[in-house]
Amino acid sequence: MIRTFRNAFTRRAVLLGGVVVAMGVAGLTQVNAQDTTRLVIGTTADVVNFNPLVGNSRSDVWVTNLMYPRLMQMTAAGSKDPYVATDWGYSEDGKSAWLEIRNDLTWSDDTPFTADDIVFTITAIVTEKIGVTAGLVPAFVSAKAVSPTRVEFELSRPDSAFLSNIGFWMPIVPKHAFPEIGSVASFANDSNWVSAGPFQLTTVEVGQRYVLEASDNYPLVEAGRATIDEVEFRVFPDVNAQALALRAGDLDVIANALPAPIARTLQGQPGITVEKAPSLGWSHVLYNMKREQLANVLVRRALAHSVDYAAIRAIAMQGLAETTNSSVISPVLSYWADPTITEYTFDPAKAKELLTEAGYVDANGDGFFDDLDLSLLYEQSAADVANWAQIMKDSAAQSGIKISLVGLERNTYLARGREKDFDIYAGNWAVMEEPAAYLGLAYRTDGFINYASISDPQLEAYIDEAQAATTPEAVKVPVQAAAKLIHDQVYDNVLYYQTFQFAFNSDRWEGLVMQPSDLLSLVNPLSLASVKPKD
Amino acid sequence: MTNNTPEAVQPSAAAGQLAPADLTPARRTWRAFRANGLGMGSAIVILIMIAIAIAAPLLAQFPSGYGIDILMPPSPQHPFGTDDLGRDVLAQVIWGTRISMIIGFAASVLAIIIGVALGVLAAYARRLDGAISMLVDVCLALPVLPLMILVAALVGPSVTTLVLVIALFSWPEVTRIVRSQALSVTRLPYVDAARTIGGSHIWIMTRHLLPAVAPIIVVSVVLTASRAVLSEAGLSFLGLGDPESWSWGKILFNAQRSGALTVAWWCTLFPSLAILLLVVSSTLVSIAYNDARNPKTREN
Repeated sequence: MIRTFRNAFTRRAVLLGGVVVAMGVAGLTQVNAQDTTRLVIGTTADVVNFNPLVGNSRSDVWVTNLMYPRLMQMTAAGSKDPYVATDWGYSEDGKSAWLEIRNDLTWSDDTPFTADDIVFTITAIVTEKIGVTAGLVPAFVSAKAVSPTRVEFELSRPDSAFLSNIGFWMPIVPKHAFPEIGSVASFANDSNWVSAGPFQLTTVEVGQRYVLEASDNYPLVEAGRATIDEVEFRVFPDVNAQALALRAGDLDVIANALPAPIARTLQGQPGITVEKAPSLGWSHVLYNMKREQLANVLVRRALAHSVDYAAIRAIAMQGLAETTNSSVISPVLSYWADPTITEYTFDPAKAKELLTEAGYVDANGDGFFDDLDLSLLYEQSAADVANWAQIMKDSAAQSGIKISLVGLERNTYLARGREKDFDIYAGNWAVMEEPAAYLGLAYRTDGFINYASISDPQLEAYIDEAQAATTPEAVKVPVQAAAKLIHDQVYDNVLYYQTFQFAFNSDRWEGLVMQPSDLLSLVNPLSLASVKPKD
Repeated sequence: MTNNTPEAVQPSAAAGQLAPADLTPARRTWRAFRANGLGMGSAIVILIMIAIAIAAPLLAQFPSGYGIDILMPPSPQHPFGTDDLGRDVLAQVIWGTRISMIIGFAASVLAIIIGVALGVLAAYARRLDGAISMLVDVCLALPVLPLMILVAALVGPSVTTLVLVIALFSWPEVTRIVRSQALSVTRLPYVDAARTIGGSHIWIMTRHLLPAVAPIIVVSVVLTASRAVLSEAGLSFLGLGDPESWSWGKILFNAQRSGALTVAWWCTLFPSLAILLLVVSSTLVSIAYNDARNPKTREN
């Protein structure tokens, strides 16, 4: 009896197993059938924050960019084109600003996208001091929706960069789906998303994938909606694994910028295209002005002359970097850049002269100046920075400057930077496209990212003048004067701006639109709304 | 009994053919160990690695700076190839041997000191046994790798940090093994006798218990050292290694970070082989030593 039962049970189990396997195969077939309209993008990190006003990792931005639109679109030269905003301007006295938006955009729950959403977003950001954007709009006083498509802003003083700053840096969130002002920064926004981008997040599998479905209404592209049905961000352990998956056909786009060795290998692969995009930011070292040695401009100049810039760009960056002429205004920003500024020379003899002039001696004859042991803080996992940090240490030794490397994991590194707990800080700024705005952020005494504790009244006066000017011509003069002062005083030592490389499967896909910087690159909303399968 | 008399031993000793029972335990163990080909081969590998670690400055220049030959495959000029900054991978492996061995040895010694002290104490002082055993159980139940990562990240990467972190998470296993071995010894009559004649606790523990667990300690030193090397490689591979020095894990981390992992096989093969050789050799030496000192396996 037992045996009969067992046999019957076994038969049923086998049958059930067969059905399950068949269903699985059917499921796989279904997924394969959908592959033509699902674009798979590789990323190396999970989305940490789904609130677009708070999230600042690359994965956060890539995913939330597809759901919460920005008002303007970045051009290759860093200027802004109309996008959701169609027109904008300032009053004659510069103390008020306005912008007009499209009238055909709706949120995914069919609520119209209106000027009220913009007023809500900027008021929340300023009231709760959320993220970098809050630091970019110091002149903001209030905003008013005078019609469903027009917003007017009151400013405490003229600010020439105000509109372009909110235009690019402020994703708009739905007033009706977010909590009241005061609780916006703490809002997790991790379910029941209401979005107005080309895609809407539907599936989150932490450590695995994030799937977004195309929205039915996205009038910012010609077709009125994205061409493809789904976008999947798939999480990989690192870029090496992404490259292998791309070669194997399991991945369509690598969102992360490629290290040079991998880009070189992928370039030769059939069906894979590697495209370049300029960075709108730069890589640099900051000298902590709170440290006694580094407060001396002679020491900072000696350090600037102790960097082998050519080796850094040729070896560490393998040629994928260009000089900014040691200026905080990169030549990519062609309108603003000052062609008279030249790069610091790598000149150990001159560096030694400067240090001797500053009163340093090598009494014990060990080849290093006494009392000048400096540490260089950098993020251990950033390959480029880690490589040039080593080169910087070695070239500084030629000038008699001892530098010890402090490579830390990302969060500890960021915390040490914010707490100004470093001698020399090595890092990158991803997007620095509006000089009048970022000079204030990085070099004002109370600047949001003034990690080096720079405090120079003359520099602040130039920044004030640039921000108060209402025409580009009037902004350019103080902006260039500020850049020259920063160069002469070595408040910041910019080493290069990078050329990023990104790869995608060009056998299967066409229509991707490259935008500058690794925040936008191939995975910007316009690109993913325009991409289509190749016939 | 007659075999133990000097007269009986002398003739065969002169001929170099002492019967196993005629030798001291140490010589019997050595003879058995020597007969084990795998054990001897592994010991030679470890000795070579120690020699490389000591002689590193004579064998290769410390890998620093940069070169123009980026990611070049093995060649007569660079037998192990070059990395993404044009540095010689052979020099990195040689200097990596030094740091990996130092960390392995130092962490192992520290873990052994803590582990043996607590293990012997737990076995001898019954009142402390419960507390120490519970502490060991709790420590063994902890997720070691995430905790190591956390501590190393918070304290900051350096060789000292790595040694301390690895040692602090390696001693519980040693304690457990030593305690169980020492427990069986504390019940033996000669320990009672030592107590009866008025021997102090410290004297009994150091003169009677410690020698009895010495073989276990030798095995533990080797195994803990190899595990420490693995832990160091793991932490360095995760970017928590000392940026100022070279270790095998750091070479692997550099290859992964720079994107050379799938492009330049030589950047990963040689440090991986070094780790594999050390870990396998340590394990084989431990097994061979354990077999050699155990009369049952020795006779077999």
